[in-house]
Amino acid sequence: MATTTATVSITSADLVPGMPVSINASSTLYQTGTTTGLELVEMGRGTLTEASGADALADALGTADTTNWVYICNKSTNVEQYMIIGIHETVLGYLGSEEWMWIPWNMGDSDAEINIEAEASGDIDYEYAIYRSTNTLPAKT
Amino acid sequence: MATLTPTLTLTSTDATTDQLSFSVTDTLSVTAPHIGLAKIAATTTGANNIIQPATDGQTYYVYVHHTGVDASGSAVTTTLNIELTGDVIIGKLAAGEFMFMPVGGHSLGVQLQASSGTIVAEYAYFTKA
Repeated sequence: MATTTATVSITSADLVPGMPVSINASSTLYQTGTTTGLELVEMGRGTLTEASGADALADALGTADTTNWVYICNKSTNVEQYMIIGIHETVLGYLGSEEWMWIPWNMGDSDAEINIEAEASGDIDYEYAIYRSTNTLPAKT
Repeated sequence: MATLTPTLTLTSTDATTDQLSFSVTDTLSVTAPHIGLAKIAATTTGANNIIQPATDGQTYYVYVHHTGVDASGSAVTTTLNIELTGDVIIGKLAAGEFMFMPVGGHSLGVQLQASSGTIVAEYAYFTKA
């Protein structure tokens, strides 16, 4: 099984005088349990339009309550533009210009889609990656 | 006001035919209040393990890391719920896993809840300036 490693580094030289912040962590991406190999990977870029309201970046198509990971980055360089990130009806937070997030997404039930919405005006470019343990293909129409 | 630099790196030599080597970084302006890095032995009652105060119009950048041990230092494989206060689950971390995200747009805090026993978590939050 493939091995993918996620590493985070959070640093600040001036948050606390004389005490630099240096936070580091690294983890292997496991499927639910301890099996390595989150091999279902979707990566891409897109453009959100403010007028379009919230869009589902990804539906919860797969086995409920499993290990999945979501990366989203707001590529806009306009500090007035931000993305609203949510899971179904729950707003998680606002992703400002050039900010990124990395969160677990466990798809507790079928109503656990990842939502993204552009604010305050204009178009926002974004990039994303989703690592899944399972994925149920949509039914043929 | 201070500068915070978070960097995420994703790497794999065998997930796909092309090697994955991806890194993203940002420069964030942050201010007080903040918690640079702290530990908590999270229990199974999330309301007792609130790590970030309720938002009041601001955004917090929140980092959480499941250390893989319990309050006694023994290794655990149980999962750690990341929740908004009121028991709204964002996601679950397994041993060794971490997350980093902006929290805001509501009037809720962040709390941790162990699926059983206790789980020691490292966490930090920073207020967006």
